Amino acid sequence: MLETLQNLSLGFSVALSPPVLLYAVVGCIIGTLVGVLPGVGPLAGISLLLPATFGLNATTAIVLLAGIYYGAMYGGSTTSILMRIPGEAASVMTCIDGYAMTRKGRAGAALAIAAIGSYIAGTVSVVGLMFLAPPLASFALRFGPPEMFALMLLGLLVLAYMSGGSMAKSLAMAALGLLFGMIGIDPMTGFFRFHYGLVELGDGIGVVPVAVGLFGLSEILLTAGQATPPEVLKPKLRELLPSRQEWRDSVWPIGRGTVLGFLIGIIPGSAHIISSFVSYAVERRLSRHPERFGQGAVEGVAGPESANNSATSGAFVPMLALGVPSGPIPAVMMAAMMIHGISPGPLLITQQPELFWGFIASMYVGNVVLLILNLPMVGVFVNLLRIPYPILYPAILVFCVLGVYAVNGSVVDVWLMAVMGALGYLLRKFDFETAPVVLGLVLAPMLEMSFRQSLAMSSGNYAIFVNRPIAATMLLVGLGLLLLSLRPILTRGMDWRRRLGHEANPGLEEGNP
Amino acid sequence: MMPRLLTALLVLLLVLPLGVGAQESFPTHPLSLVVPFPPGGVADLTARPLAPVMEKILKQPVVVVNKTGAAGAVGMSFVANAKPDGYTILLALSSISIIPEADKLFDRKPAYTLDQLTPIALISADPTVLVVQADRPWKSVKEFVDDAKKRPGEISFSSSGVYGTLHMAMEIFAHPAGIRLKHVPYAGGGPALTAILGGHVDALASGPAVVLPHIKAGKLRPLAGWGTNRIEALPGVATFKELGYENVEFYIWAGVFAPSGTPANVLRTLRDAVRQSVRDPEFKAAMAKIETPIAYMDAPDFQKFYDKDAKMLADAVKRVGKIAEKK
Repeated sequence: MLETLQNLSLGFSVALSPPVLLYAVVGCIIGTLVGVLPGVGPLAGISLLLPATFGLNATTAIVLLAGIYYGAMYGGSTTSILMRIPGEAASVMTCIDGYAMTRKGRAGAALAIAAIGSYIAGTVSVVGLMFLAPPLASFALRFGPPEMFALMLLGLLVLAYMSGGSMAKSLAMAALGLLFGMIGIDPMTGFFRFHYGLVELGDGIGVVPVAVGLFGLSEILLTAGQATPPEVLKPKLRELLPSRQEWRDSVWPIGRGTVLGFLIGIIPGSAHIISSFVSYAVERRLSRHPERFGQGAVEGVAGPESANNSATSGAFVPMLALGVPSGPIPAVMMAAMMIHGISPGPLLITQQPELFWGFIASMYVGNVVLLILNLPMVGVFVNLLRIPYPILYPAILVFCVLGVYAVNGSVVDVWLMAVMGALGYLLRKFDFETAPVVLGLVLAPMLEMSFRQSLAMSSGNYAIFVNRPIAATMLLVGLGLLLLSLRPILTRGMDWRRRLGHEANPGLEEGNP
Repeated sequence: MMPRLLTALLVLLLVLPLGVGAQESFPTHPLSLVVPFPPGGVADLTARPLAPVMEKILKQPVVVVNKTGAAGAVGMSFVANAKPDGYTILLALSSISIIPEADKLFDRKPAYTLDQLTPIALISADPTVLVVQADRPWKSVKEFVDDAKKRPGEISFSSSGVYGTLHMAMEIFAHPAGIRLKHVPYAGGGPALTAILGGHVDALASGPAVVLPHIKAGKLRPLAGWGTNRIEALPGVATFKELGYENVEFYIWAGVFAPSGTPANVLRTLRDAVRQSVRDPEFKAAMAKIETPIAYMDAPDFQKFYDKDAKMLADAVKRVGKIAEKK
């Protein structure tokens, strides 16, 4: 404990030294911009800017990249809330209630809650990272394919709590998303599926073009189709801050989102993406007024935003403690370390204490910087809504195309976004929700990969899913949740019988005194 | 994105007035060095320091462009089908010879064929190393092979993906050793490493740089290397050749290619530029940091090396065969 504090003070002396601090601030600013640009998420941002760090020393390079990473996570919520355009997959859930809040004139409150939730989640999870990294990392490594499969299955069950509309429609949309996820190379045999001669489809459909199309473009198309243009919002200064009630509603979602996100984040693989989906579902499930979700419930912003930020820190746990490339973003960060001649590995903490503790301390600093940067920006961003639609929407379209193209430099992705925009328009016209499509698409490749890897490990024996304690426990929890979600169907049946009984009884009484 | 746009504009501006006369002097405008893998991988980390050094020599900007997708097929076919003028060149890894072969296996229209690309130079060649989980009992290749023969199909290994380089490396060893291992493919080298560290598989063929810290920490045990010579950082680890596996040789190499049909004078300029680049101290320092030994070969030698390597990999792909057909 004492040692940790000493180390931390070493870390702060590194993180607060002017050059490192400067790069932390620069990283946060770039990250925020990257996050605001629709389509360009943290991975694309870090990858595009990795070459720029070659001239720096190892610590500043890592601090800069980390700044970009969590800056992008903060920034991603901005366009989701203001324009219903998810900056990246993790902010899809923020679009739903965040944008609904904007339409009700509460954009400022939503942005402020998102920033503060992210700040709390970021800071708390760094504390977790600091004290729990080594034991948690060893535990996280025990997540092999069967555990991953069980986790993804739990993720799929989230669907049951995700939407307020018809269950059949959500399931249909999730199935559509899962089917989209089947496009691309079969991970076990190398067979190309549904690629129609396009090499670009070999890796499957990217989540980003689909999310931007289904959410952002469809919204623009729907607005264009209205007989009268929607009123241009004129936010007032005193409406920028969350109300007392909104604060009160956000406290627990932020807390739960933080813990949930951190735990999901430490698991190697790309599981962190589902943290915001799971958090949204948890909040909706626990809420006393689930019907408010989708109509601008502040909990639907606070929970997922906190979850995706603390998942960010969680993802660093296996990387820093064990030198394991636990996901695409930590893998890029590890490459950045290698360029500077540092081999990330289990001995990193002892061999490079300045880098490790400087990095940890810079995460505290970075979160403060982001809060200072983002809260005043709320006023600026909200004023973007004053721009009349004939100017705002074409501009958004241009940025969507630029952002989606920039990620892979692929025109196929831009077309994909356009097609998904049209599909999203049709689906929403027929009252289908589009979030389950994105969830399905996110889950499908991981679900398939982990399922088939598990069976490869066990030579085709399904017992592998119940013989491993972690996997078995998660499947059991999943079964429990499934039964719980069936309860309304059963109780609704009872209500119906009771109601009939009530209606019938008076008549009986009258007839037979 | 902006640099790309600027490059395109520059290219247009410069090409229009020069037209045909440009053949005499090369290069007259910026080059793009296409990396078919995402930033941060071996190919990218080789291309990044190479580009500025080539820039100094060619006196024209050399822009690294990551064109990713389908395990590199997107970027490779992009260069294979680019205009053969030397302004679009490729930095590829060993997997370049695997992809068309796998396409053949599935009767697909290949994304590109090997004769669409002309080798310019080999930059590096890193032998893979066989590592096993430290908890597992095998202390030597002999013990490993003996056990694998006793329990065919039970000892498992992870790889960067089916028909990927790490899968092929293992196949190149398993076939002459007469053993059958259980293959659990992952999406990339990173997840494959995570899997063995977590104990979900028993063995892995990997580039030495990424496993070295885990070997030092005692989490993984190296058994043998695929190179002709021992790996510098692991002097105590024998090569398969030393252990009597004559033809077990495999390198993750990185080489520069141009589209076939590129004029001879342009190829000569490019070859000279790469030859001077690999001797540059800055480039050497950058490669030392990523612990990837430089193994320069000029076009004629590289062509021989590459032909042999491609044939060996083609055989390995054919031996593995179409996985879906097996029971």
